[in-house]
Amino acid sequence: MVTVALDMFPEHTHRWIDAAAPTHPSLIDTRHVTGELFGFINIPMATWIDEEGTIVRNAESASIERSPLRDIEIPTDIPDRLKTTLTEVKAIPDHSTEYRAAILDWVELGAASRFALPPDEVVARSQPRGADQARATACFELGQHLERTAGREAARAWWRKAHELDRSNWTYKRQAWTLETTPEGADANDLTQEAGDVYGTSWIDDVLALGGGARYVVEPDL
Amino acid sequence: MIITDLEGVSIDAFAEATGWDPKPQGLCRGEVCVPAPGARRDDGTIDVAMAAERLGMPLVHDPEARVWALGPGTTSGRVLSTAIAPDPPLIDRAGEPFRLSSLHGRKVLLVAWASY
Repeated sequence: MVTVALDMFPEHTHRWIDAAAPTHPSLIDTRHVTGELFGFINIPMATWIDEEGTIVRNAESASIERSPLRDIEIPTDIPDRLKTTLTEVKAIPDHSTEYRAAILDWVELGAASRFALPPDEVVARSQPRGADQARATACFELGQHLERTAGREAARAWWRKAHELDRSNWTYKRQAWTLETTPEGADANDLTQEAGDVYGTSWIDDVLALGGGARYVVEPDL
Repeated sequence: MIITDLEGVSIDAFAEATGWDPKPQGLCRGEVCVPAPGARRDDGTIDVAMAAERLGMPLVHDPEARVWALGPGTTSGRVLSTAIAPDPPLIDRAGEPFRLSSLHGRKVLLVAWASY
């Protein structure tokens, strides 16, 4: 297993990597280039690469254990917006048991696994990319460059364009939102995903616009 | 791909950043080649605008910052145009460079996550 964090700033990942103390390669992608190249439009997602360097399973949602959030009782005494958020989180499809079993099958059987796909099918199943998605990628990359060289205000305009062009790309949005709402010098990123005053968008508003938590992830086609 | 000089992009830099290698027969990635006569220049640079047009890559410009960003190709209509795994430059926890190709010969389950 190899993990890769799609994070502009490596220091944001360190506390999580250190806590996990991984024995596998634990990498950082400071330019979101793996998103562009493999099709990681949300996290967690995973792709499978065989011994020859060939992708045998395209990028898809990759949980291997059921999140406790799926089964929580939503408190009645919390703000309505938080209730709505938790309701949609609980609605996110869970394929963790099947996906874990599929990985183990591939590890054991290799190319003979029914979950290892031929090259044409891998390409066909990869994320769609039309003109808008490609332009969104360019806009997001330009924003990353300007964040580093000219500052946040210069980056925002390009990230807004990226968000408008590709509303299905959650890493572009979540990265930008978090940078807005995390105080400088904070130990950990703010995860509220509420940057509506800057971007006019937020996690829960965009999830609802998409059709709810049930449509939030790239479901594995097993 | 970030570009600060549109006329000075080397063939090697273009290939490294985009995965499309400018060869005499065209712009190639794995077994796929897209004809682009004239895109590969004799001085070792590439005509970025022509390559972008042939590969369906958007070229976005910020005139104030004097910088361009070249987006990914759209020829296949999908993120992948081939099943050959890309090999982007990544770093590890210590900031050291790491390439997925260094794991050749082993199965790789590449899991994407983020701190956000």
